[in-house]
Amino acid sequence: MSVQHGSILTSQTQAGPFAGLATRLFGGNLRRADWIAFALLAPTLIFFSIGVLYPLFETIRVSFLDWTGLSQPKPAGFSNYIKLFNDANFWNALRVTLTWTLACTGISVFIGWSVALISGLAPKQTAPFRVAIFAAYGISETASGLMWLGILQPDFGLLNGVLRIVGLEGWASPWLGEPSTAIWGVVAAYVWTQAGLPLLTCYAAIQAIPKSQIEAAHMDGATHFQILRYIMAPLSLPGVRIAIFINLLNSLKAFDMIHILTAGGPIRSTETVGYFMYQESVVYFKQGYGAASTVVLLLAVIVCSIPLILDKASESK
Amino acid sequence: MINQTPKWPVFVLGSVAVIWIVPLVGIIAMSIRPEGEIVNGWWTIEPFTFTLEAWREVWVNYPIGRAFLNSLAVASFATILPVLFAPAAAYAFHYLKFPFRRILLLILVNAFVVPNQVVIIPLFKLWREMGLIDTYWSVVIPFVGLSFAWSVLLVKNFLSNFPRSLIDAAQVDGCGHLRTYFFIVLPNTLTAMAAVGILQFMWTWNSLLLPMLFLRENATLPVMLSTISGTYEPNWDQRAVATIITSILPLIIFLFFQKYFSADGKNNSGSKG
Repeated sequence: MSVQHGSILTSQTQAGPFAGLATRLFGGNLRRADWIAFALLAPTLIFFSIGVLYPLFETIRVSFLDWTGLSQPKPAGFSNYIKLFNDANFWNALRVTLTWTLACTGISVFIGWSVALISGLAPKQTAPFRVAIFAAYGISETASGLMWLGILQPDFGLLNGVLRIVGLEGWASPWLGEPSTAIWGVVAAYVWTQAGLPLLTCYAAIQAIPKSQIEAAHMDGATHFQILRYIMAPLSLPGVRIAIFINLLNSLKAFDMIHILTAGGPIRSTETVGYFMYQESVVYFKQGYGAASTVVLLLAVIVCSIPLILDKASESK
Repeated sequence: MINQTPKWPVFVLGSVAVIWIVPLVGIIAMSIRPEGEIVNGWWTIEPFTFTLEAWREVWVNYPIGRAFLNSLAVASFATILPVLFAPAAAYAFHYLKFPFRRILLLILVNAFVVPNQVVIIPLFKLWREMGLIDTYWSVVIPFVGLSFAWSVLLVKNFLSNFPRSLIDAAQVDGCGHLRTYFFIVLPNTLTAMAAVGILQFMWTWNSLLLPMLFLRENATLPVMLSTISGTYEPNWDQRAVATIITSILPLIIFLFFQKYFSADGKNNSGSKG
């Protein structure tokens, strides 16, 4: 569509003042319209090249070097990657990443979708509750982490306080200080910030359902639960799908929340690959090794986004 | 109409919303109570002493006012640049034909896969060589670069609903591409630009990793917050105050604009069909 029109538009361009230089650069193929295109694109391409492309290629290059910051970099072939897959700590990070991303994505989308479906039955009355859940999406992970310390802190946190009051003192625990529970504490705080997104996308999909369809179902005697199960749930699936992808990618890339709550501890029990990379390159100065783990993180993100990449390929005509 | 709105969703969602409200109530309670009462539990009712001592202490002990201004400067610069440049790029990709168009667009829109972790080390070395560490540019450049991965596509999708006839009319009336862009398309993409601006402002205001590594004296609020919470002193009241100061602006913006996030992009170009 746009291509056809584009050819009509560009056909009426004339030679501009820079046509001479352009002709030399592009062998006579660059017209005035091309010049305008690149002028409009220039700021975007400059920032993008410095801020994204250069660091991307540099990280990949460094991952093939033996470089610990102080030493001179030496070519190292795949040795960083081989070391990585013989490193028990890295396997631990992969395992934590798997638990973390599945838990964060699954729970956020489950809560967001359920809230969207239930509030679809009474949209007006539940509006303030949707706003409350959605608002947490606007708070930084750093601040949200500190808010959740008020719940999870062992001595005066609300969770242990409530357990003591109802007589379950034995269940009270230093939630973030215990390797077996720390990850779930961070997951809870992270889900709190992230559930607003699936709520938004699913609720938008439900709002798009024609009113007449739901009224017709009422006329035919459908119960609220049947409307929810057979009309709203299937028709909100596009919203679920996009939320799964966004939350999956966000949690794979997560750093701030883990940094503020546990810094990867205790005993590396909350160290995802996204945090392992920070430890190795920033804290221990192992640049080549850290870069290799970053490339693994990047590959994981790419694998998870293949459906999105295919979408964008067809979308970006 | 028969009774179409049942009562139970209100109760179910009300109790879910409580989980979302409690951490906020907790942080406000901690910010206005003395440290001595907090360590017995911020939710305890007796004794309740109201004090703004923590607000004063944070102001005295930490350069929090400066951190607020730094956050404002970083987020503003990192927002204005994509808002200005993304529509230009989107226009070029949508209406013009030029060499490498498709491959450039594909690279750009798929860069959303790049995590912040990928850029930190190479950029740290580059900024150190260029003497840019601790300047706003050190975080603004990657923030702006990373934003184009989504902002250009957002504006471009908005343009695909833009009435073609207006562009053609402008061309017939003798507007070149630059004039068509500035006088016809740009004034009508304000909705898309606002969306880019709000999302980008929230994202840059809230992020921790890049400012934490690239800024020292010019630390932003999340960095300051992480510093305050990294101390081993019992300063829970001050942490709470810093948390509120960090969250207040994005929260206001968010509540103000939340109804527009779900609204579909209608454009008011004055053209029918």
